[in-house]
Amino acid sequence: MGQFIQLVVDGLSNGSIYAVLALAIVLVNQATGLINFAQGGMAVFSAYITWLLTEHGLSLILAILLSVLASFVLGALVERLVMRRFERGDPDTAVVVTIGLLTLITGICGWLWTYNNQQFRSLFSLTTVSIFGAAVSIRSIGTFAVIAVIMLFLQALFLGTKFGLALRAVAINPKSAALSGLPVGRLLMAGWGLAAALGAVAGALVAPQLTLTPGMMDTALVYALAAVILGGQSSPVGVVVAAWLIGVVENLAAVYVHFIGYDLKVAVPFILTFVVLVVRPQGLFGRKVVARV
Amino acid sequence: MKLKDYQRLTGAIALIAAVSTMTVAGCGRGRDGASHGGASTGITDSTITLGITTPLSGATAGPGTCTVAGIKAYFGAANAAGGVKFGDGKTRKVEIKSLDDAYDPQKAKANYDQLKGSVFAMTAGLGTPTNRAYRTAAISDKVPQVLVMTGDPIFNDTSQSPYQLSLVPAYPNEGEAFGKLLASSGTAHKVAVLSQNDDYGQGYVEGLKKGIEGASNIKIVKELTYEATDTSVDAQITELAATGADVMFNAMSITPLAIASLQKAQQLNWKPSWFLPSNTSSPAAILKPGNASAYPGVYSVSFAKAPASPAFANDPDVKKFLSDLKQYGSYNETPAFPHCMWSYMAGAILEQAFTKMTEPTRDNFMKALRGISDFKAPLMLDGTSVNTSVDKQPAVSAVVVQKYNGTGYATVENFG
Repeated sequence: MGQFIQLVVDGLSNGSIYAVLALAIVLVNQATGLINFAQGGMAVFSAYITWLLTEHGLSLILAILLSVLASFVLGALVERLVMRRFERGDPDTAVVVTIGLLTLITGICGWLWTYNNQQFRSLFSLTTVSIFGAAVSIRSIGTFAVIAVIMLFLQALFLGTKFGLALRAVAINPKSAALSGLPVGRLLMAGWGLAAALGAVAGALVAPQLTLTPGMMDTALVYALAAVILGGQSSPVGVVVAAWLIGVVENLAAVYVHFIGYDLKVAVPFILTFVVLVVRPQGLFGRKVVARV
Repeated sequence: MKLKDYQRLTGAIALIAAVSTMTVAGCGRGRDGASHGGASTGITDSTITLGITTPLSGATAGPGTCTVAGIKAYFGAANAAGGVKFGDGKTRKVEIKSLDDAYDPQKAKANYDQLKGSVFAMTAGLGTPTNRAYRTAAISDKVPQVLVMTGDPIFNDTSQSPYQLSLVPAYPNEGEAFGKLLASSGTAHKVAVLSQNDDYGQGYVEGLKKGIEGASNIKIVKELTYEATDTSVDAQITELAATGADVMFNAMSITPLAIASLQKAQQLNWKPSWFLPSNTSSPAAILKPGNASAYPGVYSVSFAKAPASPAFANDPDVKKFLSDLKQYGSYNETPAFPHCMWSYMAGAILEQAFTKMTEPTRDNFMKALRGISDFKAPLMLDGTSVNTSVDKQPAVSAVVVQKYNGTGYATVENFG
C-alpha cells in the first residue's frame, strides 16, 4: 500500500511538469486559436534568461520576475514580427511556422549557451515530508501550488474578465472582433506575451528537475500536447487534471500491469488520448462547438 | 475547442513525422577516394587530414562537442609546436574536419560520404548507431575508422572490422570490474539494478553478471529498466527502494536522470552503495547536485584523470590539457564529460601511430596503429594503458574502480 501511494504521488509530481507547459499551450490557443509548438522552446529560452541572471548574482525570485517581464516582451515581439505575417492566411501554415520557431529557438539556445546541462537552482527545497506514508518533497508541493494558482488565474481571466472575453473573441472570429472595435493586433500580441511569461514560470519550475539544456522540454512537450487534447483545449482546469492523470496512470501501468512495464508505459497516455478522441472529441473538459447551419 | 483544431493538430504531427523522415532519407553523394602518387587520400608531404562525424546538436551534443574539442586541442598544440614527425621522416600538420550528425545514423553515413574523398581517416566520433552506420562502407572504401567512441565489440574484431578500432572500454568491461569488486568483498550483498533499455544498459548488466558469476555472497534482487527518452525514473526508484537492497547498480547515461535518481532515493530514505558508469559519474555535473555524499559510497570506473577533481588540480597533464582545450579546442569550461579527455588521448594515440608509419598509406597506418603496447597516454590513470595489438579488445580495455570521496574519486581495491 505504501508503494502504491508513493507511485501516485510520484505520478502527480511528473504530471505537474506536463501540466505547466500544457497551461501555456492552452493560453495561446485561447488567445490566438493556434497550437504553438514553439511553446516549449520559448519556455527554455526564458529559463536561460533566468539562469543567466542568477549567474550574475541576482536572487532567484528577482531573476524569475525579470525573466517573466522579458519573456512577455519577447513573446509579443515574436507575434508582431513573425506570426503576424501568417495569421491572416491558412492556419495550418501558422502552425508549421511555430514548428520552425521551435527548431530555431532550440538552435539559438545551443549556440548561445552550449548543449551542456546547466544546474538551475530551485525555488523549493528537496526536503521531504511524509503524507499517508509517502515521501513528498517540498519541491513537488510548491510546484503543485504554483500550478493551482496559475490554473485558477487563467480560468478567471478567460471566463470572468472583459479582457479574457476580448482575447477569446479575437481568437474565434478576428474579423467580427475587429468590426466591433477590438484592437485585434494588440490583443494577439498580449496573448503571445502572456503565454511566453507563463512559459518563463514553467521553465523555472521544470529546469531544476530536468537540468537546463536546449532540448529540455522536447519530451515534456509531447506529453503536454497529449494533456491538452485529453483535457480539452479550452479548459485550464481540464488540462491540468489530464496531465496529472497521465503521470499517475503511466506510473501505475508500468508497475502493476506486467505486459506494459517500463518499456511500454510511454504508449499509455497516447492510447488514452486516442480513446478520448474517439469517444469525446472535445476532450474530457472541453466545450463542444456547435455551428449553426 | 473546435473540431477543426484537432484536425489541424493531427495534421501538424503528421507533418513533423514526414519532415523527419525526409531528413533521415537525405543522402550524400560520395566521391571516389582515389589515391595519387602512392600516397593515400588525405595525406600530403606537409599535412594529414582527419574526419569526424559526431553529434554537435541535439541531446548528445554535450559529449559530442567534447569529442571534437579534445582532439583539436591535442593536435592544435602539436601543430603550434611545428607539427608531428612521421615515421617516414616528414613532418606534417594535422587538420581536423568535423561534421554534425545529431546522433542520427543516416546523417552519419552522409557525413562519411562527404568526408571520405578528402580525409585520410575517420576518428573520435561518438555513438554506437552512428559509427555502425558507415562501418561497412568504410571497410569497402578501405578508410580507417579508428579510436571512435563506442562500447560495441564489433569494432574490435579484426576479422569483421579490418579498418576499425574503438577507443574506450566496452560497456561489459566496466560492469565486470565493479562485479568483481563486489564478489571479492566476502560479505553478503543484495543488488538492485536499473539499466537503460538498449545495448548500453544491457552491456553493463551483462558485465556485472559475469563479474559476480559463482559468487554466492551476491544476489541481484530486482532488475528494472527505463527508456532513454524518459523524463523521470521516480517510479523505478520507488520500486527498487522497496527491495531494501544495499547496492544500487545504475547503468544510466542520461545526466538529469542520474541526478534525479540520487535525489529520489534519498527522499525515500534508501541509501545503498551506488554504482554509476564512467560517462555519468562526473563529481561536478552529477554527484554534487545529486548530493552523493549521503550514500555510504558511490563507485564508478575510469581510465582518465578527472580535471574537476581536486586530487588532480595541480597535475601537469591536467593543466596542459585544460590550457590546450581552451586555446585550441575553443572549449572554455572545465569539461563535465570525460569525452573531452578521451578525445585528447585519441590524439596522443594517433600521434604514436604516425611516428611509426613508414609509408603515407592507410594500410601502413593501420599496421602502425595496431602495434602500440603499454603506451601511457596523457591523462591516463595509474593501472591503465593503451594496448592496440590484442584482437577483440578496444585500444583501452583496462579500467580501475574508483570511489567518490566527497570531492573527487580515489582508486579502491576493496568494496566497503
